Amino acid sequence: MIELKHVVKVFGRRTAVDDLSLVVPRGVVYGLLGHNGAGKSTAIGMMLGQVWPTQGEVRVGGHEVTSHRQAALQKVGAIFEAPVFYDYLSGWRNLEILSHYTGPTPPGRLREVLDWVGLTGREHSRVRTYSHGMRTRLALAQALLPNPELLILDEPGDGLDPEGIHELRQMILRLNRELGLTILLSSHLLSEVEQLCTRIAMLNQGRKVFEGPLAGIHSERRWLRLRTGDFAAAVRELRAAGLIAEDREGRLIEPVRDTGAERVVRFLVERGMPVFEIAPEEQSLESFYLSLMKDRREPATAKI
Amino acid sequence: MLLLQLRNELWKLFGKPRTYIGFGALLLAQVIIVLVFRYSPASRGMVRQLESSGFDASQYITCLTIATVMLFPISYVLLPLYATLIGGDLVAKEAEDGTLRMILSRPISRFRLLGVKWLAGVIFTTLLVVMLGLVGVLFARCFFPWGGLFVFAPGESFSVLNAADGLRHYAGAHVLLAVKAGTVLSLAFMFSCFNVKPAAATILALSVIFVSFVLMQIPFFRDLQPWFFTYHLDLWRNVLMQPVPWWKVRASLCILAGFNLTFLIIGATVFHVRDIKS
Repeated sequence: MIELKHVVKVFGRRTAVDDLSLVVPRGVVYGLLGHNGAGKSTAIGMMLGQVWPTQGEVRVGGHEVTSHRQAALQKVGAIFEAPVFYDYLSGWRNLEILSHYTGPTPPGRLREVLDWVGLTGREHSRVRTYSHGMRTRLALAQALLPNPELLILDEPGDGLDPEGIHELRQMILRLNRELGLTILLSSHLLSEVEQLCTRIAMLNQGRKVFEGPLAGIHSERRWLRLRTGDFAAAVRELRAAGLIAEDREGRLIEPVRDTGAERVVRFLVERGMPVFEIAPEEQSLESFYLSLMKDRREPATAKI
Repeated sequence: MLLLQLRNELWKLFGKPRTYIGFGALLLAQVIIVLVFRYSPASRGMVRQLESSGFDASQYITCLTIATVMLFPISYVLLPLYATLIGGDLVAKEAEDGTLRMILSRPISRFRLLGVKWLAGVIFTTLLVVMLGLVGVLFARCFFPWGGLFVFAPGESFSVLNAADGLRHYAGAHVLLAVKAGTVLSLAFMFSCFNVKPAAATILALSVIFVSFVLMQIPFFRDLQPWFFTYHLDLWRNVLMQPVPWWKVRASLCILAGFNLTFLIIGATVFHVRDIKS
């Protein structure tokens, strides 16, 4: 549905997106993760033909966005963080205005989407009287108007209260399940991504640092929780023996390939170090994300 | 589809309260000018001019004459101000508010979007000029009688027309005044397409007009006046002359068409290559 090939975007001296390649398959809920300024919004801008790539190719629905933007966006809906509208007009009029940039939209379709997002009854009120949650629903309604096959959501949960976030999450899941929409969700709310997405990509300083199924992160790195008399000394010994590749947080170790927990325990006990606990640490998206970002930062720090 | 999109742009434009500031300000200026002429000796100079040339002043100090006199200050100060305010807002305000990003997530080409926005702006300025003409003459009619038109611009024109001819010239002047307002709007619209704030687009356009106007007044540039943008913006004044120098009107119209086209091409090119970001 979306394909980015070696895309680069440079703003002045800053490289916002660096050699990014991505494939968003049809029918998935795809998460685009990264901290603020990682290049997510720039990547989305390029998918929507709002930002011109410096190099590379961006295809949406099989069409090259730079040269065939109109064909590429025909079946695309998008929502951006903090949805903005013409506040002095009604929700209905806003929908009419925005829908006509795609094509003529009958009033019946407007009523249908308003009903779908639960705004029926408030559509003729001015948008300035809407709450943040209602604006988000209106944003979703405008995105759904052209009967999209692809929905691009750029930080849609920003500023929503927990109830609003829950409501939005349920709506996204329904859209994917009931209407079969492909959804690209950009967010830095890891818990949201974890609950919604089946496949993710992580960006750091404009570069992709991970792409794969969400389920895959659990098998990506294997951490063991180790409780011993002296964690630092144990790590020193284990490293010297080449049994672990990494340690973190003063309690986790990552054994090298083919090294199991029993070997680590035996090694430490043989050296007189008591082992009180050793157990596999279930890797959450958050810990995976943080470890990836830390890995990417360290070489840069080392250079300085 | 184009008509639907144009209608939407007009909804957006006329839905904003600030759009009406221009209409309100022009109305207020007209009220003040009419009252000044009615209750002060401001019209004495015109009476003297007419009587010294052998005309019956009472036939020409009319609502048509007063409405025409009002055009001069309004067309130099208020009309460019409100045309640039709206022109500067058309693209830059949407970019600033974030609605432009929402629009450009839809399959509309940037050129078409600019086209409908510019058309909406031109409709606004035309309505502003129509209102200026209608309200001017109707309000002046409350205090002055109907009759001929007298126009005196030192060194330029001394026209005395009967009521029917005067009305024709008055209407013609407004048609060309709409061209002036549209061109000023195009200038501000061009700046609005740049990556600037709406106020900056308005100020830039007003600065260009102001600098051009000031340079034009410097004796050194007197012979070069026809090369100045602002010189051709005054084409509406030619229609108030008797006889009308149509060749000058035609030349100015062609030059203003060229300026409009240049502003639109520059604006559209800059807007097309621009990255639209949050």
